[in-house]
Amino acid sequence: MTTEAKSLPTPIPARPRRRGGRVRRQQKRAAWLFMLPSIAVLGVFVVYPMSQALYLSFTRYDVLNPAVWLGLKNYTDLPGDPAFTNALANTLYYAAVTTPLSVGLALALAVMLNQRIPWRALGRTAVFLPVVLGLAIVAIAWSFLLDPDIGLLSYWLGNIGLTSNQGWLRDPNLAMPAVMLVGIWKNVGFYMVIYLAGLQSIPKDLYEAARIDGAKGWQAFRHLTWPLLANQTMLVTILCATATLQAFDQIYVMTRGGPYFKTETLVMLIYRQGFSEFRFGYAAAISWVLVLLILILSLGQLVYFRRRAVTY
Amino acid sequence: MTRFSRRQFTAMALGVALGVTGCAGQGASKNASDGQSTGGGAVEMSFWNGFTGPDRATVEALVKQFNQSQKKVQVKMEISPWDVFFQKLLPSISAGKGPDLMGMDAAQLPQYASRGVLRPLDDYYSKNADSKNLIPAAVDAAKWDGKSYGVPMNFTTLELYWNKDMFKAAGLDPNKPPANWDEFASMATKLTKDTNGDGKPEQYGLSIADHATIAMWPILLWGNGGGVVSEDGKTSLLGDPKTIAAADKWATLVRDGHVSPVGLGGADADKLFQSKKAAMEIVGPWMTTGFKDAGIDFGLAPVPAGPAGPVTLGTSVAFAVNAKTSDAKANAAQQFIAFWNQKDSQTSWALGSGFPPNRTDISAQDLAKNPFIAAFGEHADSAKFYLKNVKDFSKINDTVFEPALQKLLNGKGSASDLFGKASKDAQAILGQSK
Repeated sequence: MTTEAKSLPTPIPARPRRRGGRVRRQQKRAAWLFMLPSIAVLGVFVVYPMSQALYLSFTRYDVLNPAVWLGLKNYTDLPGDPAFTNALANTLYYAAVTTPLSVGLALALAVMLNQRIPWRALGRTAVFLPVVLGLAIVAIAWSFLLDPDIGLLSYWLGNIGLTSNQGWLRDPNLAMPAVMLVGIWKNVGFYMVIYLAGLQSIPKDLYEAARIDGAKGWQAFRHLTWPLLANQTMLVTILCATATLQAFDQIYVMTRGGPYFKTETLVMLIYRQGFSEFRFGYAAAISWVLVLLILILSLGQLVYFRRRAVTY
Repeated sequence: MTRFSRRQFTAMALGVALGVTGCAGQGASKNASDGQSTGGGAVEMSFWNGFTGPDRATVEALVKQFNQSQKKVQVKMEISPWDVFFQKLLPSISAGKGPDLMGMDAAQLPQYASRGVLRPLDDYYSKNADSKNLIPAAVDAAKWDGKSYGVPMNFTTLELYWNKDMFKAAGLDPNKPPANWDEFASMATKLTKDTNGDGKPEQYGLSIADHATIAMWPILLWGNGGGVVSEDGKTSLLGDPKTIAAADKWATLVRDGHVSPVGLGGADADKLFQSKKAAMEIVGPWMTTGFKDAGIDFGLAPVPAGPAGPVTLGTSVAFAVNAKTSDAKANAAQQFIAFWNQKDSQTSWALGSGFPPNRTDISAQDLAKNPFIAAFGEHADSAKFYLKNVKDFSKINDTVFEPALQKLLNGKGSASDLFGKASKDAQAILGQSK
């Protein structure tokens, strides 16, 4: 390194802040420079592909031949396509079931594992462990567990009288609950950790004050813990809803969208339209519908929870 | 710690940013050099296929033998599982970096040929007199719109495997497989046993897959004179009364008689027979090794004949040449194809893989070392190709036929309703193809 040593801008509080001053401009520039690598990566791998997809969604494109401009046709075709309405319904069903269950379970586990109970560390680790594993990989393990002939879980369930002739993944009524179960199990640990952090940032003296007022157990949870966790609930709910709307991995591995498209979500449909039917323009149109769906839902949740945000 | 000047810092940040984009560029340029001819005047030709199974060793040995037999052409082979192969194929061809030569299911050929990515191979047949010895049905299966886009790389029929020990245990003659539909149905029922009475059999008479599989159900439809699509690939047969009657008969036996589990994929069906939980399966020669290793005493017989006479599925992997490949490499590819299909190579291929040879002129004595080969080669005359020369093969199979069949097997409607509606959908797809 050379010794041409002009110093870097130092952190904010060290100097008096002046509006529009030279220091501020320098800081701004430094901030942009710090962000540059991330912006470059995002631009190349997210923004550019998204804009390309937006363009493709107005075309007919099979990758092998040049795109043909179709205008809005891909979008106007969507409502009349049973494959799309089926996938949309499946996606909303998946999200509507797994989001509240994941959030509720994460909260229950966090409250439980925040107390002084034996094996607490082990419990936390066990719940969090699936988060660090690849979903596609654990989905293979789950497929084995649920196999009607060699599956351990199927065997146990069979012992208590719950037999399915076909096995969970091949039964049109049970396949969706099965992939939901895996989705919840995989991610609940992550949401639990967020809740745990929230629980530990609630000042202890609030609970002491509550106890003096006579609030115990459920009352303390209902009137103290739950409202003070509003920020975490907002974060977890939005993260979970956006993630579940994009459910793909375990479905691709465990059911491939079957039996007869009963578990085909929008992302599965995008994949099928693109890579097996070569309709990349149409697939891009579905992607953009999904983007808008997620955007609207997230904004809605944000507005709803903002009113309940707490500072303490 | 060294302190950085702002200029140095800027340079570093830019360096990181460029590094990121640089990586992508490097990766691409490395790929571009793949398949370039090497020094010394030899043409290096890339060849992709999905022979990851027990036949891999035989494919590799033949490629090695070809590479050593002459100096002008070097085949550089890349083997990946079939699903990976097809996932990679489209992006790589569109990026101009596809393989020169590929081996793919003949049923998939029209999908690619119709998009102009394959090179017609009619000149291969006109230049190589030896090609008239190839099995005509397999040659015909690799056509689209009147032109040949493929040359058979392998060919086989499906046969009925039956587990002799299970036949004995059920009081059946272990050396007498079912010969017709009546025997097939009654034996399948006899071989299905629910020993603990929970309604879920512990042993199935039959293992038949309804999705993600080599076509098993269409054989039963053909057996009654029905089918999925007509031989000329223009008309849907799903609404035909013969198709509906066959579907209804066998679906009732599976759904209500529980002779086979519902919802099996191809791999599940193989596993069921392999783990001795099913007594019969209709499948190809690629399973002989696995079943033998599992210690199963099995026999091979023709698929039991239906009212319309004996029929089975014929299936073939075909060589296809990339349309963007240079003339020199396309010639090199044809040279390799000719080597692969010559008599000696086909004899080693058959003995090594258990597939029957692609040629009609290899005698049974030459193949005597592997007793299974004959069984699969014998019934080539009664073999039909599934959805032959149909451009929208996957669409009709994956989105129309299999869902209708699965709904029927799950009791979500009658055969006439479900297949009647499916027939309209299939016809609409066939109409679009024209």
